[in-house]
Amino acid sequence: MAIITISRGSYSKGKEVAEKVAERLGYECISREVLLDASDRFQIPEVKLIRAIHDSPSILDRFNHGKQIFIAYIRSALTCRVAKDKVVYHGLAGHILLTGVPHVLKVRIIADMANRIQAEMQREGISQDQALTLLERDDQERRKWTKNIYGVDPWDSSLYDIVVHIHKLTVSDAVDFICQAATKEQFTTTESYQRKMEDFALACQVKAALVDPFFDVGVTCEYGNVLIYTKASNHQINKLEKMAKRIEKEIEGINNLEVHAGVPVPKNAI
Amino acid sequence: MEPLTTEMILVMIMIGIAIFLFIAEWIRVDVVAILMMVTLPLLHLVTPKEAFIGFASNAVISIIAVIIIGAGLDKTGIINNLVKPVLRIAGSSESRVIIAISLTVAGISSFMQNIGAAALFLPAIQRVSKTLKIPLSNLLMPIGFSAILGGTITLVGCSPLILLNDLLEPFHLKAFHLFDVTPIGLALVSSGIACFILFGRFILPKGTVASTKEGPAPELQHVMEQLGEPYELHTPADFTDYREPLRVEDLKRRYLVNVVGIIEPPDFKLLSPTPEKEVRSDIDFLVYGQEKDVRRMAEEEGMTIKDELEVFKNDVSESTSGTVEAVVAPRSALVGKTLNQVNLQDRFRVTPLAIYRHGETYRAEIGDLVLAVGDAILIQGTWPRLKLLQAERSLLFTTPIDMELMRPERALWAGLWLAIALTMIMVFKIQLSVSLMTGALGMVVTRVLSIDEAYTSVDWRTIFLLAGLIPLGIATEKTGTAAWIAHAVLHTIGTVQPIVLLTVIGILSTIFTLVISNVGATVLLVPLVVNMAIAANTDPRMAALVVGLATSNSFMLPTHQVNALYMGPGRYRSVDFMKAGLLISVVFIVVMIGMIYLFYGV
Repeated sequence: MAIITISRGSYSKGKEVAEKVAERLGYECISREVLLDASDRFQIPEVKLIRAIHDSPSILDRFNHGKQIFIAYIRSALTCRVAKDKVVYHGLAGHILLTGVPHVLKVRIIADMANRIQAEMQREGISQDQALTLLERDDQERRKWTKNIYGVDPWDSSLYDIVVHIHKLTVSDAVDFICQAATKEQFTTTESYQRKMEDFALACQVKAALVDPFFDVGVTCEYGNVLIYTKASNHQINKLEKMAKRIEKEIEGINNLEVHAGVPVPKNAI
Repeated sequence: MEPLTTEMILVMIMIGIAIFLFIAEWIRVDVVAILMMVTLPLLHLVTPKEAFIGFASNAVISIIAVIIIGAGLDKTGIINNLVKPVLRIAGSSESRVIIAISLTVAGISSFMQNIGAAALFLPAIQRVSKTLKIPLSNLLMPIGFSAILGGTITLVGCSPLILLNDLLEPFHLKAFHLFDVTPIGLALVSSGIACFILFGRFILPKGTVASTKEGPAPELQHVMEQLGEPYELHTPADFTDYREPLRVEDLKRRYLVNVVGIIEPPDFKLLSPTPEKEVRSDIDFLVYGQEKDVRRMAEEEGMTIKDELEVFKNDVSESTSGTVEAVVAPRSALVGKTLNQVNLQDRFRVTPLAIYRHGETYRAEIGDLVLAVGDAILIQGTWPRLKLLQAERSLLFTTPIDMELMRPERALWAGLWLAIALTMIMVFKIQLSVSLMTGALGMVVTRVLSIDEAYTSVDWRTIFLLAGLIPLGIATEKTGTAAWIAHAVLHTIGTVQPIVLLTVIGILSTIFTLVISNVGATVLLVPLVVNMAIAANTDPRMAALVVGLATSNSFMLPTHQVNALYMGPGRYRSVDFMKAGLLISVVFIVVMIGMIYLFYGV
């Protein structure tokens, strides 16, 4: 029992790997479902969410924090799904959105560029140059997105537990490795890991509920005790507290909720 | 019969004014007493010396001394130990507590001065009220009345009965024996207690638990409720097997439960443990928390909640520890720091439970909050440690630390001095005030309590109330007013049935004892009624006995020493005494006459 995230570039056979892993382990395989959940719950068109999680932030985004808001929504939807355990997620930014969850097996699937071009040419019916341009642009966007929002490079292999290059190694080899790793003790969902995951999901839900307009609050949760950290000014704190009181009633599983103002936001806050 | 003089009329007017002011409460009762003390000499009804003679009277000095002795006995925990078995029998039911303490006090009061028994038990009753959450006003009046009634159980129970045989001597009447009055006294005590148990609800004022001076403010009360109650838990023997160590701070973070006491194996009791302290297997520990949080913790961590406090029972009792509210003072060194930096747990061994700021209560992760001026911190700890924290002056305590440093090691001394005082009274027949003051002095000298503590323990309201009413009694007797009234009343009724005569005598004694002292009333009335009874063909001994007993029937005004003593702490008003006293007084006369009729066949 574990949670597996598979990060991939387009046409890197990542999806195929994910589906096969899920099939072999009897896990649920999710990707776009998360976006649909988020779109459903927060009444945001899916396309906007995709843009938020795919495209690098524009200048405008720096002012209205739209991207952060959407990401909070997606994260909330994702953690809700993942909290049920036995999940393979091969959608965007899984390894980043689930930072802090201890028993996540983070996998990166990369493929040989020539093979990717080939695949894209076949699927889209475009020329080799066009395919290359598209792939490069896509990779570039992903890189910029993670760098801008989380300050890390997705190509940095230290972000992952396993990086598999599908070239000499086949898809089924990758599936073998991943399935073997997933059964390791480190990735087994223990009671305390499950609790952490639930707390994490709860914090993400609270954050999603607050993020518009309080995009800069930090939320932590331990054993259902939610703490909201804010640097907001006095006037805003009242508003935040009112909102928090409402959330306390709306979201299930909250034991206690407090707003702490003027306190440095802890590193593990969401 | 003597003619009515101007002075008599003036005295009656003064009595009228005093009673009116007692009831109207335009000014406090003790101030009324002072008013009498000043007005009477101005009207030349008493000499200036007589006006203030009350302060030097045997009774007042005895009361001061006995209050000090009572405080000393309480400080060493002797009274507490005495009350404990009584309470164990009584349980926590209010009626049973009242019955148990009332009977104890009545029993003691049957052999010693009523006021002595009442004063000795006052601190203990206050503590019982706090621990059992019974309003003090519900306890003090029944117990005080029982102390007065208990005086009628034996012939040495109160001054009028002690005097009685001496007063009968000139008439060559047979003296009463020590236990001759016991059946009547017991009937009076039981009927008095029964009245309070049956009608207490209607005749007692609606009191609140613990007076506002001592208890937490109402706003604080609300916060305290949020913090919950103390619970004692036990960890199973396999608690630490196959798991990460669980520390005090983990419990606080996860369940918002504050560990304030923990057993360090094998059996060292650690109060206010540091956050890093590990919770081990098979130990007891004490927490403060809301019931739901504590239950959740016990369930998830596999601990058992005990039905009641066992190991830490004495550590959360009001006399050893408590929770106080402390406010961060302006210019305090704490401003801008967090509780984690200040580290109260390590430095003072006290546990901060919550922070109250801008109407919000913070319970989670309070160690990280940056303190600002005006933040109120709720701190739990033992009184001496809280006192140390208070002395540091960085926090202003809004809850006064009503810590009394108990000195159980001085219990022997306290008991010894009480015994000496009692021996002086009973064996050597030395005057009450001298004997009791010797006991009080002895306690101060042997450091049972300091002289300052002795001074503060004396309730000056009581002293002035009693001392101020003594000149009124003197004036009533000196001017012949009392004699005139007695003559007038007895003359008016003429020759009647013996039982009616005894009832009238009983009522007359009751009225006299309310205004003039019980001893004064007895001395004045006994010769009168004996003559009347002989003339009316009634047993003169019974007439004298009625006076001796009915002069204890002093419940309607706070003029009796015991009532005066309990009025302040019980927060009673004169009206409260009138209401409850009227019922008890009527019952008193009915029961007394009934018992005399039954036992002596008048």
